[in-house]
Amino acid sequence: METLSFEFPAGQPPKGRALVGCVGSGDLEVLLEPGTAGTLSIQVQTSVNGAEQRWQHLFQRLFQEQTPPALNIQIHDFGATPGVVRLRLEQGFEELGHD
Amino acid sequence: MNAHDLLWGMTPAHLPAEAPAWALAVIGAGQPVVVRRALAEPGYVAVGVRGRLREQRFGAVMPLAAVQRRVVPEALCEVISPRDLPALRALAQLRPVLAKAVWGITGSAGFELATGIEALHAQSDLDLLLRTPERLDRGDAKDLLALLDTAPCAVDLQLQTPYGAVALREWAGPSQRVLLKSASGAHLVSDPWQAVV
Repeated sequence: METLSFEFPAGQPPKGRALVGCVGSGDLEVLLEPGTAGTLSIQVQTSVNGAEQRWQHLFQRLFQEQTPPALNIQIHDFGATPGVVRLRLEQGFEELGHD
Repeated sequence: MNAHDLLWGMTPAHLPAEAPAWALAVIGAGQPVVVRRALAEPGYVAVGVRGRLREQRFGAVMPLAAVQRRVVPEALCEVISPRDLPALRALAQLRPVLAKAVWGITGSAGFELATGIEALHAQSDLDLLLRTPERLDRGDAKDLLALLDTAPCAVDLQLQTPYGAVALREWAGPSQRVLLKSASGAHLVSDPWQAVV
């Protein structure tokens, strides 16, 4: 078990919060809550050790396309593939948009 | 050949040059590989090599012609282990619950029951698969999950639909869209029993 922290530039915090994903092999659970304006901070708790670079690259690619909202994101990872991580984060952002 | 089947017959020569040393060691020792949910060239099957540690997983492809033995998850339902661990106690408790279903054992429990190699530990969860060619009602999913959650360890049951796998825990929950894992990748869908377009 390893806990990783990341920070990215962000816009304004959203109003709502969202919880997406699932506890189980190959999946992850993502909790998105309003953060401090200008900052997106992410905590990843993962069962797969030694993957900090992979997470960093994945987040960078995801957030370079569009400035994300200011959030505190907590991720519990159970060995999800990058494709699954991306889907779950997109699902989380979508659910925030609905509130 | 389906995801989670265990295959014997792979040799170190089948592994690519960049394969880690531990993968060469387990393949060299004659351990089976696990069929992955991924596409492979005709004549090949996508497999995963599992090492002793959680982060020791290596994706490779195996020529179908090299397969000498195959064990499907369903074949492990009645295998009894002499070890005493929460995951094995959970299995004993759930056998009667699942008796009428087509189900199987995957993950470290399946690997251990199929090979006799100790892969489980006291914190291991139990990975199960349930074949559901017909749609499982979300209410029934909730009832089944409640039964599984009385087990002495966490149970991760994947529903195998004709189009991929979805976690029982998620299908039993409130989310409108759920994650369907298929050979072509993962998708968020509202009905896992419908072809992904």
